[in-house]
Amino acid sequence: MRRLPTATLGPLLWFVGLAVPWLANGNWLSILSLFAIYAVVALSTDIVLGRAGLYDMGHAMYFGVGAYTTAILNTEYGVPVLWTLPLAVLVAAGVGALLAAPIVKLRGDYLLVVTIGFNEIFRLSMDNNVGGLTGGPDGIFGVGVPSLFGHDFSSQSDLYLLNWVVLGVALLLMRNLERSRVGRVFRYLKEDELAATTLGVNARAYKILAFALGAGLAGAAGMLFAVQLSTVSSGAFNFIESVTLFAIVIVGGQASIPGVLLGTVLMFVIPQVFQGLAQYRYFIFGIAMIVVMVLRPQGIWPRRRESAGE
Amino acid sequence: MELSTLLQQLVNGLTVGGIYALIALGYTMVYGILKLINFAHGDLAVLGAFIGLTVLGGQLGGGAPPAAWLVALAFIAAVLVVSLAGVALEFTAYRPLRHAHRLSAVVSALGASMFFENGMMLIWSPQTRVFPSHILPDITWHLGGVVLTFTQVLIVFSSLLLMLALYLYVNHTRFGTAIRAAAIDQDAARLMGINVNRVIISVFILGPALGAIGGLFIGIYYREAIFNMGWLYGLNAFIAAIIGGIGNIPGAMLGGLLLGLFNSLAAGYISSSWQEAITFGLLILILLVRPTGILGERVAEKV
Repeated sequence: MRRLPTATLGPLLWFVGLAVPWLANGNWLSILSLFAIYAVVALSTDIVLGRAGLYDMGHAMYFGVGAYTTAILNTEYGVPVLWTLPLAVLVAAGVGALLAAPIVKLRGDYLLVVTIGFNEIFRLSMDNNVGGLTGGPDGIFGVGVPSLFGHDFSSQSDLYLLNWVVLGVALLLMRNLERSRVGRVFRYLKEDELAATTLGVNARAYKILAFALGAGLAGAAGMLFAVQLSTVSSGAFNFIESVTLFAIVIVGGQASIPGVLLGTVLMFVIPQVFQGLAQYRYFIFGIAMIVVMVLRPQGIWPRRRESAGE
Repeated sequence: MELSTLLQQLVNGLTVGGIYALIALGYTMVYGILKLINFAHGDLAVLGAFIGLTVLGGQLGGGAPPAAWLVALAFIAAVLVVSLAGVALEFTAYRPLRHAHRLSAVVSALGASMFFENGMMLIWSPQTRVFPSHILPDITWHLGGVVLTFTQVLIVFSSLLLMLALYLYVNHTRFGTAIRAAAIDQDAARLMGINVNRVIISVFILGPALGAIGGLFIGIYYREAIFNMGWLYGLNAFIAAIIGGIGNIPGAMLGGLLLGLFNSLAAGYISSSWQEAITFGLLILILLVRPTGILGERVAEKV
């Protein structure tokens, strides 16, 4: 039997997803809406971690930068919500490049700890109400509703479609990245930095680029998040969130689009669905993470033609 | 800025620093051999605090100070249970991944951390648990405006003693030599007839044992424990290990003490709400200037 290639199956599933607002009710709709947002953040983490091989454990921060950019611009300066999208992307990408520049030379594990550090400094800055703009521990309320050609995206199903379209764009971008020169350079750097440098690749510049691309895409998801909940506070962008994103990529499968999406379902959607088991779910989750890694060290759905070794 | 205030901050910083250093040793030893950040180590320390609390709290109803043997029993129980947990952790979560991709082991460590943290929540409830008072004799000394408690003195001295003991063990015994050899090159050590698996198990006994004592000190010093405090103390201890030069035992001690002093001064003179950010700022600065930590040698890249 011939297998249906992922290249056809993917877009097909995306089109099926468009029908969700007509099929699902309130709770499921909001879970799937958040799934689309988290899938975008997870894919953006994969750019840095899975594709460029940079140990980034502070990625939730860029998600937060995007969300706060949208919230501050909209509530303080009255910028229309949709206009904040490009700004959230640019600000997050800028922060990503700026922070990455001095640290990308650090060895893997040190990079991991420093990115945790940036994430915590970001969270504390938001909690300490820097510049009187971030609202302190309570965050910012009352982010507005996006509107396009006079139509307000106020209903849950409108927001779902908005998130789903952005997810579709993110998926296209990831596919293009995979086939592009930049994507190939990322892969060389990950597999053998020394060899890549010898062939004339400017390792530092490409690593900064990886951070900027990943941060920018996370910034877009941050904008969606601020709009979806119409509020932002630092709790959604802390170290634990970064750890979850990190685990999504490794558990799902590095540099594998279906793997990362599957990881998002496992690590994000399932805990949402089983909220009734609140007391036990993360306990069981911890065990599951160990079991998956022991049984499938490469992730559940790894990239093809990359079987063994590092 | 009075001198006595400064001295008081230094005393408090040294106490916390001693605890950080104890916990940091477990990180540094595991990292030295496996090149793995054992993210569950902070949770193991907290487990030590809870085991100790259970032993102490079981007896204590009123205000009477617990007997010395009961306090000793609390420490012994904490050390035994936590080392056992450390060995179990090595067998189930790390050993199967020893030759896999490094990030798989990192995620396994994160899973183990989640397992311990939430397991403790299920056993000891999500609320903050209060330690009984008067666990140690209530002696305080007033030295020119500086208050020094018996608890602080005990913590600093026993931390230093334990660190010294570990240092001597690793540097001056046959088995210690095996540990150092395995840290440098596992394959070469194996060829020299060293049982590397035994060495690794010993590291997962020693590290968690010291961590358990550190965790119990935290409980006794701050008089409370909560299931999710492991990551904060664990992260601080890990930072201490990096500051000192990870994989380096004297480095972990120095890093712990320095971090404790620095934290205490930052909280006292700058702002306690920025304390953690200042800690990370210091870490980032040190790594940019000396990427292998203060006492760190050149570390061979494990490929």
